Amino acid sequence: MPDRPLESLVPEYIKNFEPYIPSKPDPELMKLYGVDHLYRLNNNENPLGPPPVAQEIIRRFQPPRAALYPSGDSYYMRYKLAEKFGLNPDQFLFGNGANEVIAFVIKAFCQEGDNIITADKTFAVYEWVATFSGFEARLVPLIDFGFDDAAMLERIDERTKILFVCNPNNPTGTYWNSARLRNFLDTIGGRQIVVVDEAYCEFVDEPDFPNAMELSKEYPNLVVFRTFSKMFGLAGLRIGYLAGSMEVVDIIRRTCVVYSVNAVAQEAALAAIDDDEHIGKTRKLVHAEKEYLRRELAQIGLETQCGEGCYIMIRLPMNDTLAYRKLMSQGVMIRSMTGFRFPNWIRVSISQHEAMEAFIAGLKRILS
Amino acid sequence: MTDKDDVQLRVRLNPAFTPLVTSFAEESAKAFGLDRNSALKLTLACEEIFTYMCGIDKDDKPLTITASNGVYFVQVRILCEVAHFDPRAFNLTAHISAKDEAGLEDMGLLIASRLVDRFGIARTSGDGLEVVLIKEKTYPETADAGPIEVKPLEAVNILTPDPETLKLFARQIVSMYADNLYPPDFRFPGKVADMVASGEYNALLAVDDQGSIGGGLMWRRRIAGKKMVECYGPYLFNQLPESGMAEKLTDALIGSISKTDALCLINEYSTPELPKQYFEQLGVVDYYAPDGTTIPWPFYYRFLKEDLGAQVWAHPALEKFLQDRYKSLFFARKIVLTGYGGETRPPHSVLAAQFIRTQQMVFLRPIWDGMDASQNLSKHIEILRNEGMRIIFFEIDLGHSWQVNFTPALLENGFTPRLILPYAGKADIVIFQYREGV
Repeated sequence: MPDRPLESLVPEYIKNFEPYIPSKPDPELMKLYGVDHLYRLNNNENPLGPPPVAQEIIRRFQPPRAALYPSGDSYYMRYKLAEKFGLNPDQFLFGNGANEVIAFVIKAFCQEGDNIITADKTFAVYEWVATFSGFEARLVPLIDFGFDDAAMLERIDERTKILFVCNPNNPTGTYWNSARLRNFLDTIGGRQIVVVDEAYCEFVDEPDFPNAMELSKEYPNLVVFRTFSKMFGLAGLRIGYLAGSMEVVDIIRRTCVVYSVNAVAQEAALAAIDDDEHIGKTRKLVHAEKEYLRRELAQIGLETQCGEGCYIMIRLPMNDTLAYRKLMSQGVMIRSMTGFRFPNWIRVSISQHEAMEAFIAGLKRILS
Repeated sequence: MTDKDDVQLRVRLNPAFTPLVTSFAEESAKAFGLDRNSALKLTLACEEIFTYMCGIDKDDKPLTITASNGVYFVQVRILCEVAHFDPRAFNLTAHISAKDEAGLEDMGLLIASRLVDRFGIARTSGDGLEVVLIKEKTYPETADAGPIEVKPLEAVNILTPDPETLKLFARQIVSMYADNLYPPDFRFPGKVADMVASGEYNALLAVDDQGSIGGGLMWRRRIAGKKMVECYGPYLFNQLPESGMAEKLTDALIGSISKTDALCLINEYSTPELPKQYFEQLGVVDYYAPDGTTIPWPFYYRFLKEDLGAQVWAHPALEKFLQDRYKSLFFARKIVLTGYGGETRPPHSVLAAQFIRTQQMVFLRPIWDGMDASQNLSKHIEILRNEGMRIIFFEIDLGHSWQVNFTPALLENGFTPRLILPYAGKADIVIFQYREGV
C-alpha cells in the first residue's frame, strides 16, 4: 500500500523550503543556449584570477598529497592572519567558503523559537541558512539601497540572536561607515551577535570604511566574515573565515566543522594574502571598467546603482529574466535580480574590457 | 491543505464494508463543512467506486480512503491495488445503455464522475491505483450592487487583507471588470475568502489609512504544476496610472514569491493596468464574446529564476511549433521526439473537462492514455459544442511522454497548438485550441 513514510520524517520548515539550484556548468549552458563562448559576469569572480604566487602553488601541488588530510583548523592561515591583523590565532575560524561560516554562527547561537535580522535585499545565504535551520529570518527593507540600522534595531526582540550586516552590501554596493557601525554596536550593547560580512571589503577605497577587525577588540559580540573568493580569486577552492573576540570565537568553534578547507586552498590563500600588487591591479581594473560601464549605461539612459564592490546593478525597462536569456544567447551571463527581490534589475560583475564590451553590445541589441 | 486535517479509513475490498465506507465518507464530508446535499453526492461517488472495485477484484485487497479538508472543498483520495481497471466511464462522453450488461458494470464510475466537481485517476506503482474525488462547497454569488465609489488615493500601503476586506475587493472586481478579466471564482466572495484561508489563493491590496481599497491582485500556485504561480490583475479602482500602484503591487507580489520554489509567474487574466515591462507575452489565444466576436486573449509571464534549461518530450508533428516558440521566447530546451510506436497501449483514454460556463469555455486535459484517443476527443467536441461551449482548449504536459501520444488526435480533430506555458506541469504545457468551424 502506498504510504509517505519519508515525508513524515521531514520537519515542516524543510518541507516548505526552496532548495537552491546552482547554474549548470559552462559547457552545458553553452550547449543549451547554442553559443561557442561565455562571458561569466554573474558571480563577482576576479577576472584576473588568483595572484601569480597562488597560481604557482596550485600548479605545484603534488598529487600524492591529495591522500593526506589538510590541517584541520587551517593552522598556518590562522597564525598568518593573527600577525596581519594584530589578533590572536584563536580568534579565527575557517570554513569551506564564507557560506559555511554563516552556518557555524547560526548553529552556535540559535535555538528553536529564535530569530535573526538582516535586510530583505542582500546576500541570500543569511536568510537561507536561518530558514532551513528552522529559525525565523526577519527581513528589513533597504532604504536608498542601504541597510536600515534604525529599522533593524526596532525589529529586535528577546528571541533575536544575530543581526547580519553585509558591508558593503551585495548587490547594491552601499556601506555603513565607521561611525554608523559603532553607533549600531553601541545601541545593541552586546545583547545580540552582530555579524559584519566583509566579503568585498578589499574593493573599498573610502577612508571612512570601518576596520571591523579592530572593532572586534572593543565589541566582544562582533563577528567579521572575510573570504578569499572575491579579491583573491580563489572562489573555486572555497575558503573563507570569521574573526571575533576570543569569547565569541570559542563558542562558535563548538559548531565548526574541521577539515572542511582543503590543503591547496589553505596554501594558496596563505600566499595570496600578501600580494598587494595583485590587489592593486584588480582595483585598478575594477575602477576603470566600472567607469566604462557607467559611461556606456548613462548613454543608453539606464538607471544604475553603482556602489563599492566589483559589481554594478542596472535597472532595465524589461523583465530581467528575459534579459538573462537574451544575453545568454549572445554568450553573456549576468545575474538577474528577481531572486534578490529587485525585479527588472540585473547585476553585472566587473571583468576584463573585452567582456564589458560584449555585455554593452549585447545589452544594446536586446534593448533595441 | 495539511495532513493534520486528514482522516483515514483502511478496509478490504469486500462489499461487507460498504456501509463503513459510506458512513466514513459522509461523516467526514459533513465534518469538513459540506452541506448535506453535497456530502451525499460525495458519499454516493465513494460508494460507487468502492462497489466497482470490489467487483473487479475479488481478493480482499486493502484499500485506504483519506478525506481531507480543503476549506472550500472536501477531497477524498482512494488508494488500492486493482489489476484490470478500465477508466473509460470517467469520460464526459460515457453513456451506458440499460441493455448493455457489460457496460452496466461501469455505471458506478460514470455516476461517480458526474457527482463530483473534479476527479483524477492515476496509476501509482505496479497495480496501485489512486482515485481522487473533489466536491466543492456551495457559495452565494455576489450581488451586483454596482461599483463602490473610490477616489484616487494619495498614499497607500500594500498589505494582506482580512477576510471582509477581501470579500469587498472581490465584489469590487466583479462590478468593475469584464467577465473575461478575472477567474470565475471571484464571483463568489465567500469562496475567495475560503480559498485564501486555505492557502490556495493569496492577495495583496493597496489600501490607504482610511481603509479605502485602491486596488489589488491575487495569485495562487497552478494546481497542475507547483512550479508556476498564476496571478490575476492588477485590479485598480479609479486610480491614476501615475500613482504607480500597479507597479507597487507587482513588485510586492514578485518580492513575496521570488525566493520560493516557484519558477514562473503567469498572468492569464491580465487587466489593461498590467505593467507590461515586468512580463513577456507568451502568445495569444482567441476569446469569443457572447455576440460571437473574437477578442485576442494574451497570456503574460515572467521567469522568477534564471532558466537553467530543461528536456521535453514531443511528437514529431509538434516539433516545428516547439522549435519556433522556444527560439522566439529564448527558452533553453532539449526536445526529445517520441510517439506511439506500436507498443501495448490501453484501449480507452480518459479526458478531464474543466468548465468555465460563464464564459462558455472548457479546458480538456488527458487523464489516461488509450487507443481510442482520436475518437474519444471527437466525441468530446461534439458534446461540448452541443452544450454551447465556444472556447475549447486542450493541454498536454511535455513532461509526460504518454501525453504526447495525444498530438495526432488533436491535430486530426481541428486543434492547433497556440501557447507554451513554461514549467506549468511536470515540464512545459502546450495549449491547443479548437478552431471554431473546423
